[in-house]
Amino acid sequence: MIPWSRSPHQKISAWLGVVPFLAFCLAFEIVPVLLLLSGSFSDKNGAFSLGNYAKISAPIYVRSFWNSIQLSAITAILGASLGLLFGYAIFRLPAPRVREALIALSDVTTNFAGAPLAFAFIVILGSNGVVTLAFEKYLALKLYPTFSIYSYSGLVLAYLYFQLPLMILLIIPAFAGLRREWWESAHNLGANTIQYWRRIALPILTPSLIAGIVLLFANAFGAYATAWTLGGSNITLATIQIAFTITGEVLHDPGAGDALAVVSLLIMGVCIAIYQFANSRARRWAR
Amino acid sequence: MAYLELKNVSKLFGPVAAVKDFHFAVAKGAFVSLLGPSGCGKTTTLRMIAGFEMPDAGAITLDGTDITSVPPNRRGTGMVFQAYALFPNMNVRDNVAFGLEVTGHPKQEIEGRVREMLALVRLDDTAKRFPHQLSGGQQQRIALARALAIRPRVLLLDEPLSALDAVVRVALRGEIRRIQLELGITTVYVTHDQEEALSISDRVVVMNQGLIEQAGTPEEIYRQPKTRFVAAFIGTANQLNGVVVDRTQVRFGETMLRAPVPSGLKESSKVVVLVRPESIAIHAAAPTDAHNVLEGTIQTITFLGPITRLGVDIGGTRVVADMAASSRAAFTHTQHVWLSFPPDACQVMAEK
Amino acid sequence: MKQRPPVLQGLLVALFVAYMILPIIATYTFSIATKWDITLMPEGYTLEWYQTAFDHPYFSITLTNSFIVSIAAVLVGLLFIVPTTYWVHTRVPAAKPLLDLLMILPFGIPAVVLALALIRVYAFPPFARSPFLLISACVIFSMPFMYRPISNSLMAIDVHTLTESALSLGANTLQILIRVIAPNILPGILSGSLLVFATVFAEFTLANLITGASFKTFPILLVEFTRRDGRIAAALSVISFTVAWFASIAILWVSGRGRKPTEEALGAR
Ligand SMILES: Nc1ncnc2c1ncn2[C@@H]1O[C@H](COP(=O)(O)OP(=O)(O)O)[C@@H](O)[C@H]1O
Ligand SMILES: [Mg+2]
Repeated sequence: MIPWSRSPHQKISAWLGVVPFLAFCLAFEIVPVLLLLSGSFSDKNGAFSLGNYAKISAPIYVRSFWNSIQLSAITAILGASLGLLFGYAIFRLPAPRVREALIALSDVTTNFAGAPLAFAFIVILGSNGVVTLAFEKYLALKLYPTFSIYSYSGLVLAYLYFQLPLMILLIIPAFAGLRREWWESAHNLGANTIQYWRRIALPILTPSLIAGIVLLFANAFGAYATAWTLGGSNITLATIQIAFTITGEVLHDPGAGDALAVVSLLIMGVCIAIYQFANSRARRWAR
Repeated sequence: MAYLELKNVSKLFGPVAAVKDFHFAVAKGAFVSLLGPSGCGKTTTLRMIAGFEMPDAGAITLDGTDITSVPPNRRGTGMVFQAYALFPNMNVRDNVAFGLEVTGHPKQEIEGRVREMLALVRLDDTAKRFPHQLSGGQQQRIALARALAIRPRVLLLDEPLSALDAVVRVALRGEIRRIQLELGITTVYVTHDQEEALSISDRVVVMNQGLIEQAGTPEEIYRQPKTRFVAAFIGTANQLNGVVVDRTQVRFGETMLRAPVPSGLKESSKVVVLVRPESIAIHAAAPTDAHNVLEGTIQTITFLGPITRLGVDIGGTRVVADMAASSRAAFTHTQHVWLSFPPDACQVMAEK
Repeated sequence: MKQRPPVLQGLLVALFVAYMILPIIATYTFSIATKWDITLMPEGYTLEWYQTAFDHPYFSITLTNSFIVSIAAVLVGLLFIVPTTYWVHTRVPAAKPLLDLLMILPFGIPAVVLALALIRVYAFPPFARSPFLLISACVIFSMPFMYRPISNSLMAIDVHTLTESALSLGANTLQILIRVIAPNILPGILSGSLLVFATVFAEFTLANLITGASFKTFPILLVEFTRRDGRIAAALSVISFTVAWFASIAILWVSGRGRKPTEEALGAR
């Protein structure tokens, strides 16, 4: 048998090979999400209704989204800017072995999210944490109660722990894509370092930067375990509110949960779309 | 009246000497090629002229002033790279205008210059296009326009054609030469392609392992190679190992060859006699009136378009000889033939 | 690019490394400290918290459950993704955009939303709150991690040329798959599997919301202890981190080995 004769006959039957996997995705991802969508527009009797969306305009839900967006935006922008800076420092390291070790460290730590990470931050920055104590002892600086690892400011620090390495991993290939010829051409044509960065390097990095920022935003927006471990019900985030509608810790209203989930999906969808677009831009230049 | 001069320039990379004691002058308006195999130090030499590498010894002067320690962005050298050096985020106009904009030229002058340069490289209608929308050949022409837009004192090109297809390569090298003559700009051109170097240069500098092997006009380089390296690198040359008999004769195996022996070579010293294949005549019967006759058997017959190249086994030494393609039918594989060549087609040099 | 003063560069790198490893080191230390809440360094060291953790009735249950879910997610993922990816790459390239889209979707669905959607649809036995539903959710959630390394290694080896040259040398389809394709994408399969394992092992959200108390996993136990007893939480965190480190080192090792043949092939060109 020849593995791929390209007759149209075989092509149609070849699509059958995708069916099992597609069926699995439909069953456990696509159909449930679509049902969620239709559920969010139905009332208790299944008739079309915007009631669920009216429900989630309650202050608690609006605040949860606002908090989620703020937290995601702050950690995305901070993570991206610091990632750009640290990423460049790592990228320019003269020793390839050290550079690779740091990239490997980023690879590992960006997956250290959730409960163990949250707990590690309690260990260093809790009210008796080692860093808290060190600040008090050596810098005579009392972190508490202005700062608390259990509050939003603490969440920012904990989220940065996985956001920063993610950005580094995303931006280093972009730095590597800056060709030496571009700097040399620019310099040869009379440009100085600042002119090169402003007019060539940064514009070329911009799509990758934007892709990084929205990916970080989405990453933070969808996160739940870290916030839940650190703050529990003291933290009002979209994901935590959605989880409540499942665990029934507060008012158990399935309809509101569906609407909250749909709004979250919408925000995530916008992020992924921007990410895809920015990424295709970045790839177009990286030939 | 040297315009650009490299005075005993050397460059080390760690223990490796990329360029050794390079001494060379370029006249104003001349087109000079640096030719040599990969890794011989051509790029390093060019980058020292551009200011991207600092020589470890020696000095570089341009128009009478020492530029050895002038930074690249103040040298006024326009550089064209091998490939992909256009700024991908800018369209053609912005690429060409870049050098003028960063050095604060007035807007009107910039627009005029951009139009002039695009006309010069015959790509007037591409101003709004982005590099990824251009072919490789077009990109290199824009790169040339960009380098020329700043009115550089010297134009530097580092293998600008090596990433292109053969046909485009030949067409574009003619373009480069036309533009160079039109502007009368002093040009240093780096290539590893001997045909390219010979066809477009006023002078060729053949380099090997960081050293200059020979510098001269393309004709000199081709007809009077000074070293075996140059002879072997430029075109095809038969190398016959022999022993000097006297001022006019070299013994090659059993045969006495007539060839002018340079005065530096002593009697009975080991030498190499160089003969280009196009200087060799091929005979089906033993010629009576010819010098330097060698007898052998045809091993290979290679059709090369305008010529046919015969590979002939002369008692264990392979000699190649060219003939017009039209006379090809006269010879067959394994046929016994005689080769002959005039004494003045021979060049004798020491074996080592 | 001017050479940046290496002092600044070194400082930045040191700061980064400190931020990344301080929490981890502190947790390891905390887990073996007798008392560490007033002094800067622990007052003494002990393995007592590990002993207490091991003795906890739920310790081995949750650890086993987590291993079951992670290994099952790897196996199911392999079963679906390897053949599908190979099939799409070789037979139906037209389906590649569809596959790429399916592999991006999970990034756009927060775990809480996926859990909510699945609980709504599969509210009846035997699915409701079942480990089976949890495993399916984990497969969906982690499949991009499985897909990317496999797809990358398939692209890196240029399956078409390899298959065609093997065919021209007289190999049959089975021989091609076993002797040519599989050894070349094995590193991709291994690192994909390890990534999925590590991700699912640490997954708290899906487990807590889908099975919760009826099928507790290790991260659920950990979160419970962060509220009850920090010492034991530290011991459990250390176990969690250690599993993640091992998985990461294995991935690096596997992909480092996997990179070599390509580099050699490039060098030989
Ligand atoms: N930045 C560098 N660091 C170390 N060695 C280099 C560097 N640039 C060039 N070399 C070495 O110097 C020699 C000459 O290189 P180059 O000038 O690029 O040669 P060419 O352009 O003729 O191919 C080579 O052996 C090359 O490996
Ligand atoms: Mg070179």
